[in-house]
Amino acid sequence: MNQAIEVLSPNRVISKQTVRWMVGFQLVLLFFIWIFSPTVFLPKPKEVLNALNEMWMEGLGGELITSFYLNLQAIALATLLSLGMAYLTVIPFFRPIVTLLSKLRFLSMVGLTFFFTLMATTGHELKLFLLVFSVSVFFVTGMAEVVASIPKEKYDLARTLRMGEWRVVYEVVIIGQADKAFEVLRQNAAMGWMMLTMVEGISRSEGGVGAMLLNQNKHFHLSAVFAIQLTILLLGLAQDYAIGLLRTVVCPYADLTLERK
Amino acid sequence: MPSYTYGKTLLKVDDVSLEYDGRPILKHVSAEIRDIICTDHVQGQVVGFLGPSGIGKTQLFRIIAGLNKPTTGRVTINGADRPVQAGEVGVVAQDYPLFEHRTVMSNLLIAANQKEKDDKAAHDKVVQYLTEFELIDKARLYPVQLSGGQRQRCAIIQQILCSDHFLLMDEPFSGLDLLMLEKTSELIQKVANLDELNTIIVVTHDITAAAAVADHLWLMGREHDPSGNPLPGSHIAETYDLIERDLCWHPQIITQPRFMDFVREVKDRFRTL
Ligand SMILES: Nc1ncnc2c1ncn2[C@@H]1O[C@H](COP(=O)(O)OP(=O)(O)OP(=O)(O)O)[C@@H](O)[C@H]1O
Ligand SMILES: [Mg+2]
Repeated sequence: MNQAIEVLSPNRVISKQTVRWMVGFQLVLLFFIWIFSPTVFLPKPKEVLNALNEMWMEGLGGELITSFYLNLQAIALATLLSLGMAYLTVIPFFRPIVTLLSKLRFLSMVGLTFFFTLMATTGHELKLFLLVFSVSVFFVTGMAEVVASIPKEKYDLARTLRMGEWRVVYEVVIIGQADKAFEVLRQNAAMGWMMLTMVEGISRSEGGVGAMLLNQNKHFHLSAVFAIQLTILLLGLAQDYAIGLLRTVVCPYADLTLERK
Repeated sequence: MPSYTYGKTLLKVDDVSLEYDGRPILKHVSAEIRDIICTDHVQGQVVGFLGPSGIGKTQLFRIIAGLNKPTTGRVTINGADRPVQAGEVGVVAQDYPLFEHRTVMSNLLIAANQKEKDDKAAHDKVVQYLTEFELIDKARLYPVQLSGGQRQRCAIIQQILCSDHFLLMDEPFSGLDLLMLEKTSELIQKVANLDELNTIIVVTHDITAAAAVADHLWLMGREHDPSGNPLPGSHIAETYDLIERDLCWHPQIITQPRFMDFVREVKDRFRTL
């Protein structure tokens, strides 16, 4: 009873044990809502499972690997590009360029396809270009913001320790903000999956879960669509967890001051 | 009175002026700190730097630290014929910044390595300071895991390890309780007396604390026109030599009436700045 009150009060820090109970309860509740939901558009768990099984036979695993590989490649490239560009904003010359890049967020992906098709030699390349572009414009915006909001005191500390300006950039901007960089990466890597299905719809030569999803969508195979969405969700969660884990290992200081660490 | 003599000039503020958009903030500021030599022991220097709020203490502080350039004039140290550069003068800012992504040990090593290229020697020096300032068991913690006082000591050591005997402290007494205030004063004098050339400038609003810890006081103020209105641009309006007045280096000085008289004198002068 006491714990129930704790769980429902603001700004409470609850024990790991309580968290487990609470989340378990919420999952069961969600499951029941799913089963007993009167909506006909919501396929039942059994149907979803069957659809999943069927698609697995048809090679869902392979498609997942294709998509995962593409996404990984895109995220890696986007990370390199975006971090590089964001760090370059320490040099005034690059600031307008990065500002411009971040404004490209407003461009639609479909409108870019033509341009990138001319540049790419394969379908894979086209998808990669599109993904890298659309993730990078958001990534660079977030990271440039992180760099811009470093307080003056941090730079002064490095300077009073006899660091030259390049060393200051390394210490304060690059490794000093590594934990924030991981956080921005995490947000944008999630966006990769969202855009992936779109890109795979634009160029279907290689297949991938996105192409599969669009196919099932076209034929109104709701349970199959549901199954694919669930699979993507699980994969995304795993990816998110992995990045979070990496962050904790590389930046153990990051969460020390948080109440809900 | 203890016997002492003055040695060479350690720090010289030479006709420094500072303007922002044509508005004068500092006008012809000149001051100097000389080595105080006592024959029987190592004696460092502590200057208390006082002035009303908004007068330009922080601005002069940043110029002495080499972090900002004055509009005209210059600050030199150790008789060098060029303006001071960032890093030569240690700066302990008010909130004791440290590199949050490094442990205490790593924060100090990175500072020590700037002067001592030999890793082993740098490490030994850091360990010696950590032990001296009761932080050795905190070496593996991150700055956020330190208490306020531990963080202060860590920030002071970091700057001492890297600077050329100079240390500027911005408001080290603000927000401290009586016990911590006494401890901080002791700490300042202890750091000052680690080396004959060590020189600490303490910027503060606390006149009593400054008088208790310093051997010289600088008061910053403005000129006034005949009708008593302050003119823009401040300079060092008054300096007090506490050694000459025999108010320095006595353990229990702050309890003595002549010390209290002196503080009152400074306070009266402060009101006219
Ligand atoms: N970047 C700036 N641009 C213009 N004026 C400034 C700037 N920084 C400070 N000043 C002005 O310089 C004057 C001196 O400021 P400073 O911070 O040195 O005061 P201070 O003596 O340290 O005051 P306090 O005791 O309140 O900290 C103030 O009048 C302030 O408005
Ligand atoms: Mg100030």
